[in-house]
Amino acid sequence: MDEHVDGASAVGRVSTHFKITGTLLAAIRADLARPHAFAAERVGFIAAGLSSSGDDLLVLARGYRPLLDGDYQINPAVGAMMSAEALRKALQWAMKDNIALFHVHTHGGRGRPGFSGIDISEQKRFVPNFLQVAPQCAHGALVLSDKIAHGHVWLAEEEAPKVITRFTEVGVPLVKWSAL
Amino acid sequence: MSRFSRQSFLGAGSERRLADATIGIVGLGGGGSHIVQQAGHVGIGGYVLVDPDHITETNTNRLIGGTLADLETEARPAATKVAISERLLHGLLEKPRIVALHKSWHDATEKLKLCDIIIGAVDSIIERDQLERFARRHLIPYLDIGMDVHPLPGGEFLVSGQVVLSTPGHACLRCCGIVTDERLTEEARKYGAAGEAPQVVWSNGVLASTAVGLIVQLLSPWFRSTQNFVYLDYDGNQGTLVPNMRMELYQQRVCPHHPAEETGDPLFDIRDYSRGVVEREAARIAAAALPPIKPRWWLALWRSLFG
Repeated sequence: MDEHVDGASAVGRVSTHFKITGTLLAAIRADLARPHAFAAERVGFIAAGLSSSGDDLLVLARGYRPLLDGDYQINPAVGAMMSAEALRKALQWAMKDNIALFHVHTHGGRGRPGFSGIDISEQKRFVPNFLQVAPQCAHGALVLSDKIAHGHVWLAEEEAPKVITRFTEVGVPLVKWSAL
Repeated sequence: MSRFSRQSFLGAGSERRLADATIGIVGLGGGGSHIVQQAGHVGIGGYVLVDPDHITETNTNRLIGGTLADLETEARPAATKVAISERLLHGLLEKPRIVALHKSWHDATEKLKLCDIIIGAVDSIIERDQLERFARRHLIPYLDIGMDVHPLPGGEFLVSGQVVLSTPGHACLRCCGIVTDERLTEEARKYGAAGEAPQVVWSNGVLASTAVGLIVQLLSPWFRSTQNFVYLDYDGNQGTLVPNMRMELYQQRVCPHHPAEETGDPLFDIRDYSRGVVEREAARIAAAALPPIKPRWWLALWRSLFG
């Protein structure tokens, strides 16, 4: 068979490791647990720095910004609808601070969380915009449970997202889990 | 009865958690070699071992695993410290995952980035400062051990040391006052003139054992702890190891010396990374596709017959 390297498929084999301190993750969970006046769930953005070792990509969380109360729109079809202004602020944050940005929300519970169909279609709509304003960074989305997390990462605007393969909650104790 | 049945109080799954972990040990002398040995005994499975030195005669008073047979002879060079540690681990673990790097840790950062915990058993203040900064940048807990021997009046000595657990976001070696600009300046001023600092096996053992306890507590805790910052003082004359007063005081401190904005590689570009992945994959496929080299039997025969 004639073998060749397809850029997308080669990059598809990368291992992505998302690391976040226990303190930051607890603060995010606490923020997302707050009720909103009309939205069924809260969302926010995690800023991260990036590094790599060979084919291993390290996503290293730095901070978190919640969506402000006024930046939600009424839409009964989804748990939380961001306004265009909220998206503009996030894009500006990514561009100005040269950061990887990950949309985050929680499904609660203690098991392994997963994205809903609506989550995935919404991510496809807005995450590639981050790659337009901060193309030097990877961007993505996370969904949390009360114990662990699951996520997608986009390495390039034109490519499909990859599943984040490993997570580490850096705290006492050190908690690790794998997506596979 | 499993090999680890006597440490089953570490919890169900502790054997797997310890086996899955990878620790980086920078400096495999008196302190680091103790940590290697004990980490192997408790069953930690992965190691990035980093040290640029060979064993010398003056190391043999304290280097765990090193023997007189490892010293340089006319027939062969001295064993490297990483080789001695590697040999030690192979004697304690069935299939350890070892990356042994006989070089400065500054040239080993690609492998150290992937560690769950980094342990610094290095002599200089600047090395500790830089290693901790590197660990923080990659959200890796950093454990530092260090010992000193101070002259006292009357020709006596004080053996002392400390163990510090520095986790991202919390108090660091600068918060502790172990790294200060004054000490860095003083060290730079004395560079090359300090000679060999006194080091002894028993105090290194106390500090290293304490560090291994903290590693196990991070990976497979046997009691509930929320201490993200540990700073223990060792007094070898009194035979005590006690919390430094800053340990309680700084438990909730947000470290001002290593801001979260420094996390990650400041020059990282995902486009370069993706190109690198594609190029490495192309190189792998090309290497796999090379035809096997056929032995030129007729050439060998010709040369053997006609020179």
